[in-house]
Amino acid sequence: MIQTRWRIVTVLACVATLATACASKKSARGPELPGQAMVALLPDPDTNAVGKAFVTNSAGRVDLTTAREVTTVSARSAPRPTTTLSAGDVRALFGEALEALPPAQKHFTLFFRFDSEELTDASRALAPEIIRAVRERPVPDVLIVGHTDTTGTRTSNFALGLRRANTVRNLLRDTGLAAASIDVISHGETELLVPTGNGIFEARNRRVEITVR
Amino acid sequence: MRVHAAIVAIVSLLVAVPARAAEQPAPAGQIKVVSGSAFIVRGDTVLPAAVGQRVFESDKVRTGSDGRLGITLKDDTRFSLGPNSEVHLERFAYAPAEGHLALALNVVRGIAAYVSGRIAKLSPDAVRLETPGAIVGVRGTTLALSVSPK
Repeated sequence: MIQTRWRIVTVLACVATLATACASKKSARGPELPGQAMVALLPDPDTNAVGKAFVTNSAGRVDLTTAREVTTVSARSAPRPTTTLSAGDVRALFGEALEALPPAQKHFTLFFRFDSEELTDASRALAPEIIRAVRERPVPDVLIVGHTDTTGTRTSNFALGLRRANTVRNLLRDTGLAAASIDVISHGETELLVPTGNGIFEARNRRVEITVR
Repeated sequence: MRVHAAIVAIVSLLVAVPARAAEQPAPAGQIKVVSGSAFIVRGDTVLPAAVGQRVFESDKVRTGSDGRLGITLKDDTRFSLGPNSEVHLERFAYAPAEGHLALALNVVRGIAAYVSGRIAKLSPDAVRLETPGAIVGVRGTTLALSVSPK
């Protein structure tokens, strides 16, 4: 009886070993030759969009165009024809780097009253959301860019854009953000959200764009 | 007379700004994620990497066997290293108004991930990812790379 049980355990152990061996044989392996590189195209972690990548050396070129498409390449030999990794392969091969990616930046646009550094009511209501985005990051750094519409002179609009940007900087003062972690700049009337001619009232161009990284 | 003084003031500003820029270059980005052993190699100096630290063009970043590192650059490009990895930030220029855009990351060994930022959007050809045997060009994309040591 005991012997039978041991035999079953042994058989199970063998099956388990075989299964593991098969699984590891199937899973993709990283580059092995010295200096060899494996390059994989991945969906964007936030939007799932898939871009394109071109792997090139003196011996040839291979394009990566679909999700988890991968090639291997060494110096002096052309990139190998592509294959497609499973999501599990991607985790096994690259997970340790992917997990260390910083969180994606967040963008906000706040709008202002005409010829004023005063926020519109709707934009003022967005302030808590921006403050939250800053606070949820261990080491935030923030870019604040002021813009104007095309009424007034270029010089006065540069100054107005800067005043608007500083209004936003003051909004973020309570977050304890270090001065060195904030960049405040003005583009005046040079980067319009809605293209217009000169001297045109356009509420959507009276704005501050904020990037929280 | 007043005009003359203003011109002198403007000229001295123009002279002063590039001089200061040469002394202390603008940071290219910031370390956002660190665990285990991770280092910045800046010239002959090896600095332990810490969250919040600035990185500059020409810096090399390196991790030990338990190390991880994640960096966000000023153009929103993000990249990260797994253990036993080394990446060189060979080029970084982000001044869209002046048309200066360049990013070159050299993955020397180990595992790295890359998520493109504004430079790749504004000027895709300005981005180069290098490995020992090939160059990778990107079009608005996320990549993972693994390079075995030489």
